[in-house]
Amino acid sequence: MELLPLRFERAGKSYLVSNMVGDFVRLSGDELNRLVDLRVRPGDGLYEKAYAAHLITGEGQTAQRQLLALRLRSRMAYLREPTPLHIFVVTLRCEHSCPYCQVSRQSTDRSKFDMSEETARHALNIAFESPSKRIKIEFQGGEPLLNFPMIKNIVAAARTQAGTVGKAVDFVIASNLALLDDTVLAFCKSNGVLLSTSLDGPADLHNKNRPRPGGNSHELATRGIRRAQEVLGPEQIGALMTTTEASLDRVEEIVDEYLRLDLDGIFLRPLSPYGFAVKTKAIRKYNSKGWLEFYARGLRYVLEINRTGRHFPEFYATLILKRMFADRPLGYVDLRSPAGIGLGALVYNYDGKVFASDEGRMLAEMGDQTFELGSVAQSYRSLVFSDKLLDLIGSSLTQCAPECLDCVYEAHCGADPVYHHATQADPVGMKPLSEFCARQKGVTNLLLEILETSPQDAAILRRWGGM
Amino acid sequence: MGRHVTLPLYGTAIFSRGVSTATASSVVRLRSGLDSPATSAADFKLVRSKEELQAVADSHHGVMIVSDEGLEDLPQAADCARLISVPAKFDYFSDGDIIGFQPQSGRFRTLYRRASAHNSLLVTDRCNHYCLMCSQPPKDIDDRWLLEEIKAALPLVAKDTKSLCFTGGETLTDWREFVDVLADCRDELPDTAIHVLSNGRAFVRDEVVAAWTALRHPNLTAGIPIYSAVDHVHDYVVQARGAFDETVLGILKLKDRAQRVEVRVVLHALTAPRIVETCTWLARNLPFVDHVALMGLENIGFAIANANELWIDPIDYRLGLAEAVDVLASARVNVSVYNLQRCVLDRSVWPYAVQSISDWKNGYVEECDHCIEKTRCSGFFTSGRPRRSRGISPILAL
Amino acid sequence: MGGATTDLVVEFGAAVQSLGALQAAAYRLIGSATCQIDQVADHFVCRLTPVNNPNKKSSHDSEALRIHFLDLVTDENLRERIAARTDGVRNVILALAFGSLASAQNDRP
Repeated sequence: MELLPLRFERAGKSYLVSNMVGDFVRLSGDELNRLVDLRVRPGDGLYEKAYAAHLITGEGQTAQRQLLALRLRSRMAYLREPTPLHIFVVTLRCEHSCPYCQVSRQSTDRSKFDMSEETARHALNIAFESPSKRIKIEFQGGEPLLNFPMIKNIVAAARTQAGTVGKAVDFVIASNLALLDDTVLAFCKSNGVLLSTSLDGPADLHNKNRPRPGGNSHELATRGIRRAQEVLGPEQIGALMTTTEASLDRVEEIVDEYLRLDLDGIFLRPLSPYGFAVKTKAIRKYNSKGWLEFYARGLRYVLEINRTGRHFPEFYATLILKRMFADRPLGYVDLRSPAGIGLGALVYNYDGKVFASDEGRMLAEMGDQTFELGSVAQSYRSLVFSDKLLDLIGSSLTQCAPECLDCVYEAHCGADPVYHHATQADPVGMKPLSEFCARQKGVTNLLLEILETSPQDAAILRRWGGM
Repeated sequence: MGRHVTLPLYGTAIFSRGVSTATASSVVRLRSGLDSPATSAADFKLVRSKEELQAVADSHHGVMIVSDEGLEDLPQAADCARLISVPAKFDYFSDGDIIGFQPQSGRFRTLYRRASAHNSLLVTDRCNHYCLMCSQPPKDIDDRWLLEEIKAALPLVAKDTKSLCFTGGETLTDWREFVDVLADCRDELPDTAIHVLSNGRAFVRDEVVAAWTALRHPNLTAGIPIYSAVDHVHDYVVQARGAFDETVLGILKLKDRAQRVEVRVVLHALTAPRIVETCTWLARNLPFVDHVALMGLENIGFAIANANELWIDPIDYRLGLAEAVDVLASARVNVSVYNLQRCVLDRSVWPYAVQSISDWKNGYVEECDHCIEKTRCSGFFTSGRPRRSRGISPILAL
Repeated sequence: MGGATTDLVVEFGAAVQSLGALQAAAYRLIGSATCQIDQVADHFVCRLTPVNNPNKKSSHDSEALRIHFLDLVTDENLRERIAARTDGVRNVILALAFGSLASAQNDRP
C-alpha cells in the first residue's frame, strides 16, 4: 500500500482533503492521521473512501497513477492552444461615466482615441498567428459601437483571413447597447456576432452605477437586450453585472431583473480593484466578507429559482463546478495557473500597444506598464514568449507559490498576477492578504457545503458543472 | 401475450443422416418455404409437416424436420441425402436461422436467429475470472472448435443484421483467433455493429490492443465490467486478485487508441449499495467511455449458488441508482439501465431504462397485465430461477 | 523595537520541530499576526503579535492565538510528513503526465 499525493485544510472539526486533481473528501483528524500512516485496511471504510479518491494505491498497481497523469494532462490541455481570446479596443471614447470604469473618460468628440486601420491590420495578423484553432475576437472600448465602421472592417478582414489560414473565428461586441440600432443588429445577424452588455440590476441601481447624459442607461440597455433577443436570438446576447456597494443588499432584485429579461443566467462578480474603482476608493467600500455574504445570498436565491424547474445557472459557481466535476479545458482565461495573461488573451489597444490582459491595460492607463507586452508591430511569438511575460507567469504559478502549493483548493483556482500586482505590488501576492484568495476559498467552500447538505441543490449544481 | 418460458436454444436431434463429420460441428442455415432461396451448401430446408416434406424431398439441399411425428421415417424422407430431425418444441426455428450441429452426438445449438434483435455468439467457456454471479460458469476445456463454428456461420448471417454480441467465458482467451473472427465480421458484415463482452484485462498487452485497433472495424465496442471504485471490492466480485488494476489499464489503453468501450456494472448486494460511489468515480475518471450500462442481476448460474451473498431487492437500491444515474447524466456520460422493471425504478431513471432482456428469455408476470408502462418496460428474465422484487406492481396512472 | 513583554511566545525544540514548518505556519498568519522566529540554543522561539490591537490584548485572545498557531504548526508538520512519503510518486505521476512532452522537445532538431 502506498500513499498518493494529497492536500488538506482544517475545516471546523474535520479536514477537507483533496488528491492531485482536486477530488475532495472529508476526513476526521484521526482518519487523516491513520491515512498518512497507512493504518488502513480493506473493509474499514476509510480504505474504500481513500482508494476511490486516489489517496492510496495498492502495491504493484499502476492504473491510478495513469489515471491521475491522464487527468492532470487533460486539465492542462488548454496550454496546447494558447491565446484563444483577442480583445480589440477599437476606441476609448464613451458617453457614460461609470465610477468603477477601468478606462479613462474621454469626450465623444475626436477620433484621436480610435484604433487606426493600420493598427487593426497588424493586430489581426498577430491574432491569427496564435496556435489556437479557434479564436474569439472581442470588441471593447470605451464604447466600441462609437467606432462601428472599424468593427465592420475588422470582422470582414478577420473572416477572410480565417478562411485563408484555416481557423475558426467568433466575434463578440462588449457594448452598453445605447447605440444599438437596426444597422448594427443587421450586421451582427449576418456575421454571427454575439453581443455582451452590462446589466447591474434594476433601473435605479444600474443608473446609479452608470451615469450617462440623460440618465437612461438602464432603459437603453434593456431595450437593446430585447431587440437583440428578437433579432439575433436569445443565445446571442449575454449580460454581465458589476458589483458596487449599492448592489450588496439587493442581490435578489438584481437576479430578478435578469430573469425578467429572459437572460440565460447570471455571473455574480466582485468589484475589481482597478481603474476608477481605486481612484474613487470604491474598492474600500466592502471587503471579501461583505461580498461573500452577498454572493451566498445570491447563489441560494438562484438555486431556489432552479428548484422551480427553470434552468438559470450562476456562472461563477459554474466555473468552479466545471473544474471540480470534470477535467475538460474551459474557455475562461482568468482562473488558470499558468496564468491566462498573454497565454489566454491578448489586448490590442487603440494606440497600437499590446497588453497581456484587459486589467493590465487599465493599469497602464494609470501609469503602470507592468503588463504592457509591446506593440502591434511585433510578432505573436515575440509578444507572448517574451521574458517579461514568462517571468510574470512563472513567478505567479500557484503550483509553486507559498501556501498555494499546499492548498487544498489549488486544482480549482488560478493565479491572478494582475490583481495581486495591483493590490500588493507583487504578481504572486501574499495569499493570506489576498481578497482574491479569500473569495475563491469562500465560494468553493460554499459550493462544497451545498453539495454535502442538500441533495436537490447538489443535483442542480452537478447539472451546471456538466454544461 | 408473449412467451413466458425461456426459448430452448440447445437440444439433441431425434435423427440425423449425411451431415459431414469432417469437423466437430457443422453449421446449418434454415430456409423455409419454396420461394426462399437456398444458395449455400449449408442451407437446409425447414419442414414441419408431411406436405412440406413432400415439396422439398427431391431437392439437393439438406432438410431440417421440426416435428414430433416421426416424419423422418416417411418414404418421402428417404431421398433426402442430408437430414436432421428435431423435436417440435423447436418450432421457433425460422428462415435465416443458423444452427450449429454436432453429428457425432446429435447435439445442436441455435447460434443465430434472423428475427431476433439479441443474437449472442459464445466464443469459449474458458475464463480467467470466476465472477460470483456468472451466468455462464467457466469450464477449463479445449473448446476452440467454437471459434471454427463461428467462422463457418458468419458468411451465412443476414447482411442486414443490426448487431451481434460475442460472449463467453473470456472472449479474448484465444485472442489471435478471435481477432481473426472479428476481421471476418468486418468483411462479411460491414453494416453489423459488434459488441464484445470481455473482462478487458487482455488489453493491458500492447499487442492485443494493436491487433484490435488494426481491425479498423467500423462499429466495434468492448463491453467491460467495472464493479466498484475500490480494487478489493471489484476483485472480490470477479474472484481474481489484481483484476481491477488491469481492467482499468486495459480500458485506458483502448481509449488511448480511440476504440469504443462500454463499462458494465451488474447490480447486486455487493455492488448496488456502493453504486453512487462507483458512478461518481466513473464520471470523474472515465467520462470518455462510450456508454455505461447499469444492469439488474440475472439469477442464473453462480448467482443462484451465491444468492445469499448477492440477492438484494432492487427497491432497496432504487434511490442510490437514481442518484448514480443523475451523476453520470450530469457529466454527459451516456448511461442506460438494463433488466430492471419500471415499477422498481425511480421515475427519474425511466428515460434511461432500456428494453434489454434478450427476447428468448424475456417475459412478464400476471401483475403486468394492466400496467400502463408494460410496453416500455424491460420485463423479467425467464431464465434461471427468476426472483422478483417485492415492489412489482402495475403502474395504473402517471 | 524588540519583543514587548505582552508578546505571545511559543517555543519548540529544534530537535523535533523543523524550521520550514514554523515558517510556513507563520506565513499563514500574515494579516492576523506577525511571527518572529529566532533560534536560541536548541530551541526555536516564536514571538507572535496580533496585527489588530497589538497593545490591547486579553489573555483570552492570547490563548486563542496560541492555539491557532499550534494548530497551524501541527498542520505544517503533517504536510512535511505527507510530502516525504509522496514526493516520489508525485514525480512519477508528473513524469507520466508531461514526460512525453519533454522527450518530444529533445527530439526536435
